[in-house]
Amino acid sequence: MDKAKFRSMLRCVIVLAVIALCSGLLLGAFNILTYVDPLKSTYERFAADTGATFSKMTDEEGKEYSDGSVVYYAVSDDGVYHAFLAEGKGGYGGTVQLYVYISENKIVKVVLGENSETLWATFEDDFFDQFRGLEINQISSFLPSDITTSSTAKKSIRAIGGAIDSVVKYYNETAGGENNG
Amino acid sequence: MDKRKVKETLLGGLLKNNPTFVLVLGTCPTIAMTTSLAQAFAMGIATTFVLIFSNLFVSLLRNVIPDKVRIPCYIVIISTFVIIVQMVMRRYLPDLYSTMQAFIALIVVNCIILARAESFASCNKPLYSMLDGVSMGLGFTAALCVIGIVREFLAGGAFAGMKIPGFPAMEGVGASAFGFIAFGCLMALFNFVIRKVNDRKERLKKKELPLSEGKVGTMEEAA
Repeated sequence: MDKAKFRSMLRCVIVLAVIALCSGLLLGAFNILTYVDPLKSTYERFAADTGATFSKMTDEEGKEYSDGSVVYYAVSDDGVYHAFLAEGKGGYGGTVQLYVYISENKIVKVVLGENSETLWATFEDDFFDQFRGLEINQISSFLPSDITTSSTAKKSIRAIGGAIDSVVKYYNETAGGENNG
Repeated sequence: MDKRKVKETLLGGLLKNNPTFVLVLGTCPTIAMTTSLAQAFAMGIATTFVLIFSNLFVSLLRNVIPDKVRIPCYIVIISTFVIIVQMVMRRYLPDLYSTMQAFIALIVVNCIILARAESFASCNKPLYSMLDGVSMGLGFTAALCVIGIVREFLAGGAFAGMKIPGFPAMEGVGASAFGFIAFGCLMALFNFVIRKVNDRKERLKKKELPLSEGKVGTMEEAA
């Protein structure tokens, strides 16, 4: 191999490797500075959305279902709210996280969490209000076709439906059973 | 530092070379993120941050980076700052981050940033490159905010999230198709105003120019 060509190639590799290494170190430092403990941030979110206090997570492991999963589940200290962090599969940009709050077997609030969907502008401003009042113990599952919207973002709707369905199933199997027990 | 060059660099991105209305770069985030003023402003600020620091580092390393691998090097530098923006937003602005997440990541491939790294930062000193980043970023932010105000007002009868009494929301105006129409109309208006101002300046210049300094006169005038 030509020596000059080899040197030029080696220089390219070294420069790119050094830049990538520096970039990695910088990102590592920023990660330490901005790291958010997922459990702590979920507690904070549950408390901010409901106004109640949550001192322990009832289920840190969660449960996987066909179209989504329950990531975390907690009951407020006063026992009024059942709070869920649920994920729906099959969104346009992957999974869609929802915070779902249940009180007296009814959904009282649904808040959008992390997601990579791009069509939120096509949804109505009060889109998540339609879930309010849904009696969880009266249904066994929730389908995306149960969602009312003029948006054509089918994949996002499917993911939202999957997240709600996971909460319905989990609540009726575990949390609802405890509550009613 | 050359004052004239500083002025030219600073004003360039805002008016003469506005990335949105004149260079027509970064159209994807322009349409996607201008449904409300808050989102448009956040996107503009995030892009400005990435522009400033990517321009600075590309300029600092311009004599070190070999020509053959300059684009991968620029992309590594740009993506580093985009991830920093993501980390900071995730930590301090989680609500805004949850709605903008997909588009923040896409700043990496925003052509304004790569274009400025390639055409300006790679052949200018670090300070000028930073100024170019500030100017281009502010020009982009200003354009996004103007489009955001118009779209939010027409689609929701609101300004910065606050409903304006007496102005009803118009259904369908919030859609991307109307975004393109609003973008086009504002672009035409911006360029019309800039052209008028430039024409006026040139007319004034010509009037001020005396005959002895090169003005082409008629034979009658010379006589």
